[in-house]
Amino acid sequence: MGFLFNDGDIILDAVLTDSGRSRLAKGDGTFKISKFALGDDEINYGLYDKNHTSGSAYYDLTVLQTPVLEAFTNNNSSLKSKLMTVQAPGGGLLYLPVFKLNTDGNSVKHSDGIFVVPSDKTTIDKLGSLADGVLNGYKPNDSKSHISVHQGLDTNQLSKEDVLARELIETQYIVELDHRLGRIYAPPQSPQASNTRLTTDTQIAAATPSFVDKDNIASYYFTLKEGGGYVTNLGATEGDANTIQGPRGTQFNFRLGGSLDIKTSNYLFSEIGSLGTSAFTNTGGTNLDASTWRYIDSTIRVTGVSTGFRLDIPVRFIKLIIF
Amino acid sequence: MATTFKTLTAKDVASTRNLLHEAIPLTGAIVSGTYSENNIKNYAHGMFQSVFDYPFLSSSANHIFDLTCGFSSNSDLSASTSNQNAKKCNIYTQMSQILVGYDENSLVRKFDEDGNFVSTATKINEAYMLNFTRLLTKDEIKKQSFTLELGVSASYTNPFGKTVTLRDTNANSAFKVNSPAGEYGILYASNSVGQALNGYTGSTEQPAGLIYYQAGIAIVTASVFSGLLSSSEGGAGIMSMSAGGGVNGAGSGVDEVLSGSTIQTNCNDFRNRIYNISFNNTTELNSTVYFCRAHHTEFNYSSSPSYINGSRMVVKNNPDDIPVAYVTTVGLYSPDNELLAVAKLSEPLKKDPTTEFTIRVRLDY
Repeated sequence: MGFLFNDGDIILDAVLTDSGRSRLAKGDGTFKISKFALGDDEINYGLYDKNHTSGSAYYDLTVLQTPVLEAFTNNNSSLKSKLMTVQAPGGGLLYLPVFKLNTDGNSVKHSDGIFVVPSDKTTIDKLGSLADGVLNGYKPNDSKSHISVHQGLDTNQLSKEDVLARELIETQYIVELDHRLGRIYAPPQSPQASNTRLTTDTQIAAATPSFVDKDNIASYYFTLKEGGGYVTNLGATEGDANTIQGPRGTQFNFRLGGSLDIKTSNYLFSEIGSLGTSAFTNTGGTNLDASTWRYIDSTIRVTGVSTGFRLDIPVRFIKLIIF
Repeated sequence: MATTFKTLTAKDVASTRNLLHEAIPLTGAIVSGTYSENNIKNYAHGMFQSVFDYPFLSSSANHIFDLTCGFSSNSDLSASTSNQNAKKCNIYTQMSQILVGYDENSLVRKFDEDGNFVSTATKINEAYMLNFTRLLTKDEIKKQSFTLELGVSASYTNPFGKTVTLRDTNANSAFKVNSPAGEYGILYASNSVGQALNGYTGSTEQPAGLIYYQAGIAIVTASVFSGLLSSSEGGAGIMSMSAGGGVNGAGSGVDEVLSGSTIQTNCNDFRNRIYNISFNNTTELNSTVYFCRAHHTEFNYSSSPSYINGSRMVVKNNPDDIPVAYVTTVGLYSPDNELLAVAKLSEPLKKDPTTEFTIRVRLDY
């Protein structure tokens, strides 16, 4: 008779992240562990061979051989993808919701394939009318250009008219953004109305981050039906043909502005930015000549609190050089 | 509602305290010889000398202990003619005020060889002091683990023909608690090589010093090189503490060196007679264990971009197939979802609706 397995419990040593150490050092009670999540950053599920001819024991043979890295202490580098608990509605699930950029109307990307944010008045004045995909970083409310993320099942096997199970609707979004560079602003009231320059708009304040970690990454939380209209239900007819093709959940819209630092100073553009070596194309307005502007490329990460899905959106902050 | 977090309740968190011990062996060769004194650092102030485990100019060197000596102002050796008399008295007073404290008249007590302050006898008036660094002692020296073996042969150049060992015998049950610097034990000397102790041929032990466990300081009476020894070594005769010429042409005795030489010379002479030091240190480890319980209905799906292809799960052929996901990481979060600690598994762990497990994540402080 063999021995029974006694390895039901797994003991792991944890390391504090930089944020954990920072909160512990503050001693103000903010170091409080209240929940956990499981991650699978190293796993490539593309290696899961569910049709392996040798049977189910071989489906995940390669996956289980995946080497696992030691822990990162940078809090933004770990648990980028999390395991999820889903109470499957009415039986099994075959589809899971995703996030996709909606790229039509006032939320298209610039012809460079990126959202561009001119960050000060001089640059905005020089550009004149802003091309598609150029967000007014100086006065975000002066433009209807914004970034739009749609959520739902991206499959043509199910109709857009189908109802997405409540279990799978994302109702809260986390946005992570380099706090040195940008701020989040509410979307326009009618996001896809004609994009004229709205100079009469009352300027509203930027959203307030929930916290800014020691790497200067600000985390914002936006919830469905909360003030500001950031998160709304996604109608069956909204968005372009390439956005969510199946049952739809919610959409998250926001405008982006420059931080006070990059509006008023060239320091960050000199330190972490690059020189624009070719002309910046601003269709409908004035182009910026080569070597007259600098830029900083960054990423905005949008993550669903419930579903854990995320989308990394590349953005480019630009500024006319006046040294 | 789908979720990626699970709240930890009071039943999922436990705190533990463990004591870890490491054995610390220090051979006499490191203390004196191997590195030709390049691991010994002396200072212009001349109050003590530092011993490193490697030439101290190297970044690899670790400071392991300091050595100094002193005597009470009531000692027979205390005189205006004594070399560095004030400094030796100051060192003694400083160490005793910290380790022994003050009496009811606010006078600094002297080191007492049996820890009984009521008795006016048995005081240690002249002493060598070894201050071990925190690197070695960690939180404290483990009781009943300390040994210091000293060469006590008459010859300066060959001091280890006879040795005595000082150890904190029975300290586990006989340690003292009347010091302001924490617990301490009495170091007893016994013969280890040869029969050097005066009148003692067996394993009988004589009080010869004190060991302060939390402070990491050993006090060794100078008598271990004189009065405790038989006449052939130091009792009535002369044990050559110093290489320099002394009485009878046989080098200087310990009293002569203590009064007539600098602290630095005394430290050099003491090191010359260290054969071995060993003890166990103690680290108090406070841990919080988080029981991360993944029930069979939980954490069976993944938000990894590779988990889906056009919203369709790549691990399922049809809706009735069981979902599967693989755990490699456990993250501990604050209430506002900031990642505070990370633990990694050594290999991916399969999670599906037929399995459930508890991962114990330990966070040490």
